[in-house]
Amino acid sequence: MTDPANSSSGVLGRGPAFWAVMVFISTALVVTLAATGAVEGPVPQLLTIVPVGLFFVMARAGYKRAGQTDGSGKGEVQRRYIARTAIFTSLYLATFALLMFADRELAISKEVRFALALLPGLAICGVFWAIGRLMIEEKDEFIRMLTVRQSLIATAIALSAATVWGFLESADVVPHIDAFYWAVAWFAGLFVGAIVNRIQYGTWGAV
Amino acid sequence: MGGSVKNRLKVLRAERDWSQQDLAQRLEVSRQSVNAIEKGRYDPSLPLAFKIADIFGLAIEDIFSRD
Repeated sequence: MTDPANSSSGVLGRGPAFWAVMVFISTALVVTLAATGAVEGPVPQLLTIVPVGLFFVMARAGYKRAGQTDGSGKGEVQRRYIARTAIFTSLYLATFALLMFADRELAISKEVRFALALLPGLAICGVFWAIGRLMIEEKDEFIRMLTVRQSLIATAIALSAATVWGFLESADVVPHIDAFYWAVAWFAGLFVGAIVNRIQYGTWGAV
Repeated sequence: MGGSVKNRLKVLRAERDWSQQDLAQRLEVSRQSVNAIEKGRYDPSLPLAFKIADIFGLAIEDIFSRD
């Protein structure tokens, strides 16, 4: 990743894979700090700025790498995918912040709360759409196959986790988890899918 | 996963002094695709196999064979 030939393709000389690992590590740290009670109150929410910021750095590095013409570039289709994902992630963050602010600071009606609560979910649906478009638009059959495998692995992990947790929750042996966390599990599953692709096919894939 | 088909891509490429990237550009696919096909990790579709054959000016069976 620090190859001089590619040093201009990432951010601070690092490619998207490096920043993806940083996002993963910082997210795990924030979750651990919050879950163990090491940080309380608004601090965990403030700390999420770190993985979110790193996500955008990762997107930028990926966008630059996809545009490389020295052979490491993955093309216009992936640049579009990265741009779409960055846009929908930004929309998610903005609408989620708006929902939190309105819920705490403003006396909003149930109808307005419904509309505001719908927006972050729709923004995440936009990310799913972007991945679907990537599968449709990708002309390289091998890369497309890797994306499909990655998504299937993510789906298997998220659905399995949701099913098992659901039964445990109904038996009152584990705490309640809000349903939107299964989307988070799906995105974590993409990370696992990329590792499986790397092991079996020698490359991480496109997502 | 691939592996049920052998191929002579590496030899054919070497004969023409092409890098994996050179072949990838001719095929309009990624270098990773060429690498995966060459190493037998991925078996190309029939249209891609025809395209490979056309680029080398050979028949498909001159490049790919049963393992």
